[in-house]
Amino acid sequence: MSNIKDRYAIVGVGESERSKNSGTTPLHLALDAARAALNDAGLQAKDIDGFMSYSENDSCTSHQLATYLGVRPKYVKDIMGGGSSTEMLIADAVGLIETGQVNTVLIYRSMNGRSGVRMGGGGWDVNLLQSVIEGGSFIIPYGAASPSQWFGLFATRHMHETGLTQEHLGHVCLSFYEHAQRNPKAFFYGKPLTMEEYKNTPYLSYPFNKHDFCLESDEANAIIVTSAERAKGCKSRQVYIMGLSARQCVSHAHYWNDLSEVAADYVAPEVYKMAGVKPEDIQVASIYDCYSWVVLRQLEAYGFAPRGEVGHFVAEGNLRMGGKLPSNTAGGMLSEGYTHGMNNVLEIVRQVRHEYKGTDRQVENCEIGICTGWAGPDMAGAMILRN
Amino acid sequence: MENQKPIPLKNQDNSPYWEGADRHELILQKCDSCKAYSHPPGPSCAKCGSTELSWERQGNDIHGKVYSYIISYRPFLPGFQDDLPLIIAIVELEKVKEVKLIGNILSCSPEDIAIGMPVKMIWKKMNEERSIPQWISE
Repeated sequence: MSNIKDRYAIVGVGESERSKNSGTTPLHLALDAARAALNDAGLQAKDIDGFMSYSENDSCTSHQLATYLGVRPKYVKDIMGGGSSTEMLIADAVGLIETGQVNTVLIYRSMNGRSGVRMGGGGWDVNLLQSVIEGGSFIIPYGAASPSQWFGLFATRHMHETGLTQEHLGHVCLSFYEHAQRNPKAFFYGKPLTMEEYKNTPYLSYPFNKHDFCLESDEANAIIVTSAERAKGCKSRQVYIMGLSARQCVSHAHYWNDLSEVAADYVAPEVYKMAGVKPEDIQVASIYDCYSWVVLRQLEAYGFAPRGEVGHFVAEGNLRMGGKLPSNTAGGMLSEGYTHGMNNVLEIVRQVRHEYKGTDRQVENCEIGICTGWAGPDMAGAMILRN
Repeated sequence: MENQKPIPLKNQDNSPYWEGADRHELILQKCDSCKAYSHPPGPSCAKCGSTELSWERQGNDIHGKVYSYIISYRPFLPGFQDDLPLIIAIVELEKVKEVKLIGNILSCSPEDIAIGMPVKMIWKKMNEERSIPQWISE
């Protein structure tokens, strides 16, 4: 791939209302988010010639969205996928723009994640699960059907090997909940968490209690990607893509058989190399946080603290405002809302733009930020942005 | 009471494993080209891609150590509501260390489970024909 550093930009971000029961369809939510992103960028729907989405069969199609925005795009694509899909679709959009097929792409994730199809599961057909999940017949008969359990197996082992404790998981939760207290749109706004409360919460699936789990919400998010050249004509302060690693896999097919590596370990060197920066150059982060432990494992993978010292890093308050790496500053998926990662992408764009300037939400003078995506231990992607 | 738990679905890739389990025997898939064990079994070797695969009988006296575990306090699937808290573990086999099997540690309290704990394989009958390997502390 040719060097695309700083040649593409995110020019618009937007979201629908966030709720636990939207009372409407994913198409309505997607339209709200798309219009908000267009307004943010100062673009018209007709300026968008590519539409892309990801879902777990719980959304509307890009074709529908374009239709009801009243435009006829050149390119639509809907993929199946969860975490790291945003980074992957941005990479795809860059590729399409680079080859002259489209000019400007809108990417969205829309879901009634609480009132409709819940990722937390329940009600799935067990034989279907055995068929669609890789190696499903070796886990479903043992009651292991939730990512909290699969990732939990990684977590217990990793905690055992590196000395991470439940309190370290708690520091991730507390840091993000603290950010949510500055974000009136966060679900847990007005609901701070203390370590005592965290530690007194019974386990739901050891090593996780309910605070270690992400939320479920009804909402849509959208972002608009275009070339740096076209970005100059947009209303918003552009945020440039320095580095991007779309989605990598670990080299084995059955991820619960080998707990020693995760895909993020391979994403990290590539994204830093492309961006030409080091972990210490990053001033703000959005770390995929479907579970608290996933954040700790990624802090290790992306080099923010050496293996074995990640717990100390978070206990020191480094994920908080004023820390070395304020992270998930809108509250993240643990306490703001959940759109399979895209809400964290919106937040990193806003931070790097200095959209919160003059308020206590702004990470002061942040110039470079990282956003990571985690589909699981098996697949991951990441992106480094600058203003 | 009739079994409500999901019963492993057999297919062309895994049937020797589950048919072995039905006879209370552990059988593992192995690659003839690179000699790596392949678990869970698949259509080809996940290490080298070879389709030269064979099945290796391990017998029924299987021991291992808990490599990792979680304790579920909520049933995520039907049939487990009376088994809580449920310990789901990854067990490293004593004789074939590179193979790790997922199973439940039965008759073990959350206070007793630990990484490194020695366990022994037993077979749990699901119905007249079907059985699955499980683990107990030893």
